Amino acid sequence: MTEIQVTITNVSGLHARPAAQFVQKAATFKSKVKIVANNKVADGKSILAVMSMGLKQNAQITITTEGEDEKECSKALEDMIKSKFGEE
Amino acid sequence: MVGVVIVSHSQKVAEGIREMALQMSAPEQKIIAAGGMADGGIGTDAFQVSEAIISANTGDGVAVMVDLGSAVLSTETAFEFLDEDLRAKVQIADAPILEGAISAVVEASLGSALAAVIATAEGARTLNKM
Repeated sequence: MTEIQVTITNVSGLHARPAAQFVQKAATFKSKVKIVANNKVADGKSILAVMSMGLKQNAQITITTEGEDEKECSKALEDMIKSKFGEE
Repeated sequence: MVGVVIVSHSQKVAEGIREMALQMSAPEQKIIAAGGMADGGIGTDAFQVSEAIISANTGDGVAVMVDLGSAVLSTETAFEFLDEDLRAKVQIADAPILEGAISAVVEASLGSALAAVIATAEGARTLNKM
């Protein structure tokens, strides 16, 4: 299992379009992806679960990945969040 | 990839939802708006809906999002116009049209099957915004 801590920095948070981008990226990997924040856990490959987290700008989240490509998956998701989903 | 059809009484609503959904879709994904009557008036047109379903199908089926009342009736009538193969692969999602469409499009973009796309669209009913 790989675990990383990331802060959501884009203005609109992990809603709508960024949430869709996150789920779509996660789904390209075989690993299981979980987002943990505010004492809640979401399946990182479920758009409804990710949107329901209500993650706003500056939210700190933990992403865990588990599977044969967990390191690549973790890196790809971290890079996407750090690049602010191309918002600015 | 499962296609998505948006059936609204208003052409502008259907087009607007399509425009939003396209922001989250995969490049090759089919999202077709079927809004309003042929003359541009408010209403739903079963013939237009059936044409939209045919255009949206790439072989994996079509999820249909509807707004209110007769949008469901027109869509059911549209199903009657389809050939049997396609009719077996189309389904109406009992979901809010905008939230359902967005959720369905994202689920379909992952390569999920029709049943999963419909389930995700219907799950949007309980999506909290606050």
